[in-house]
Amino acid sequence: MEDILAILPSPTKETAPFWEGCNRSELLLRACEDCAQVFYYPRLYCPKCGSEKLAWRASAGRGTLYSFTHVGVSFYGPTWESQIPYTLVLVDLDDGPRMLSRLVGPDRDKVKIGDRVRVEFVEFETQKLPYFSIVRE
Amino acid sequence: MPRVTDEAVIIGLGETPVGKLPGLNSVQIQAMAVHDALRSCGLSIRDVDGLINLDPYSFPNSMFATTLAEYLGLKPSFCTTVDVGGTVTGMTMLQQAIWAINSGHCRTAVCVYGENALTGRSPGAHGYMLKNLLGGEEWEEPFGLQGMVSMYALLAQRYFHDYGADESDLGAIAVSTREHALLNPTAMMKKPMTLEDHRRSRIICSPLRLLDCSLVADGGGALVLTGAANARRLGAPMVRMRSFAMRMTHNTVAQMPDIEDLGMRDAGRDAYEAAGIGPEDLDMAQLHDAFTISVLVTIDALGFCEPGGAGDYIRTGATAPGGKCPVNTHGGLLSQAHIGGMLHLVEAVRQLRGEAGRRQVPDARLALVSGNGGIFSLCGVSILERV
Repeated sequence: MEDILAILPSPTKETAPFWEGCNRSELLLRACEDCAQVFYYPRLYCPKCGSEKLAWRASAGRGTLYSFTHVGVSFYGPTWESQIPYTLVLVDLDDGPRMLSRLVGPDRDKVKIGDRVRVEFVEFETQKLPYFSIVRE
Repeated sequence: MPRVTDEAVIIGLGETPVGKLPGLNSVQIQAMAVHDALRSCGLSIRDVDGLINLDPYSFPNSMFATTLAEYLGLKPSFCTTVDVGGTVTGMTMLQQAIWAINSGHCRTAVCVYGENALTGRSPGAHGYMLKNLLGGEEWEEPFGLQGMVSMYALLAQRYFHDYGADESDLGAIAVSTREHALLNPTAMMKKPMTLEDHRRSRIICSPLRLLDCSLVADGGGALVLTGAANARRLGAPMVRMRSFAMRMTHNTVAQMPDIEDLGMRDAGRDAYEAAGIGPEDLDMAQLHDAFTISVLVTIDALGFCEPGGAGDYIRTGATAPGGKCPVNTHGGLLSQAHIGGMLHLVEAVRQLRGEAGRRQVPDARLALVSGNGGIFSLCGVSILERV
């Protein structure tokens, strides 16, 4: 695994269970108990029906790549030069929502839209982060 | 979608130099743009009782309309700050001014934006690095997303995939825009650009290269509005906002819908319908071009061609100087300067007044201006018309 630099999140009371889930290697999505909508990122109200009856549901952590970009310059100054190029991805999770993440692991330079990916929890300092890697069948 | 009432009209336009304006802060730059706009229609600050502006992105301020009003010596009866994103902010300022004038809250209003985004940034800032810009930092920063370009890169990569487009399509609009800039003495970019120059420029976020990105710049622009009766009394050339529509679909990039469901298509349809025209009636289009991909997506969405056809459309020469519908006749954000899109509106008004010099579109009567805040998060389209 490459040497990762990350800016750690500052969770709110509402979002802390998500990040705690990551530390247990669980990708938690919000599921509405009224309309069954599964959504990411976690919010206090269902963005489809407005309900506040929400449950946490573990994602299978698999998805399909919607888009990607190889970041060619450091937007965080010289300390991030070691990360360049790193790869940002939009992943359509099999559970429904689309999420932004970072691609890690082998064949990153050969990535293409439509590739199957799976979540890969990468530890940085105090937090495991839900990154993704390419699944080769 | 209501047709914008035709009472309030645009009678003045102002623009500061763009590029590096060291030693000037954002208040001073906006004040310069206001005074330039008032001079263009023979008015002074004593005539202004409405003020609408946007605070600087590179150094956010609160209550920036009151800050500027005091600096200028104004005591307006209508005063507000608008922030809904690139060029849509400018259109919304115009809409607010029109409503305020038509409802009697003020008689003469100035809409202004400007800042020292190039020389006023903190040392070491790279690109347009804006803290909290899209409010999604908890779901973006831990993954390494920073700056606007990576979001547009994700959009561009998907556009390539959906339509079989490639970097030559991005290059086509970069080159067309540069051709316009060479006719605008105020543009930051002074040298011709070829497709080869574009292809050889360095990758910022694949597939976007340096020459796909707009120019962070200092500068400002302003427009003056008043009631049509007052405008006639002043003998000022009049430009009317014939229609304006906006559509918000999302904020952060992960919530962005598929390309054909972006709000630009709906906003465009509503603006055309309200104005009773179609793309074939336009004399020019000023399309928000923070990145080349924005223009391709917008050309498709506004019906200039079939979805995915923007590259071929641009290669017909339609968008270039002298083309069927020239796009970004001032050189746009890509080759003139990125002043929040305010200069897209100033340029449309300048063209419709017949004051665009060497780059004047002959007998220009109808102009479309498009904007998109965030990552096509909020899209806006307005049709401006010479009265």
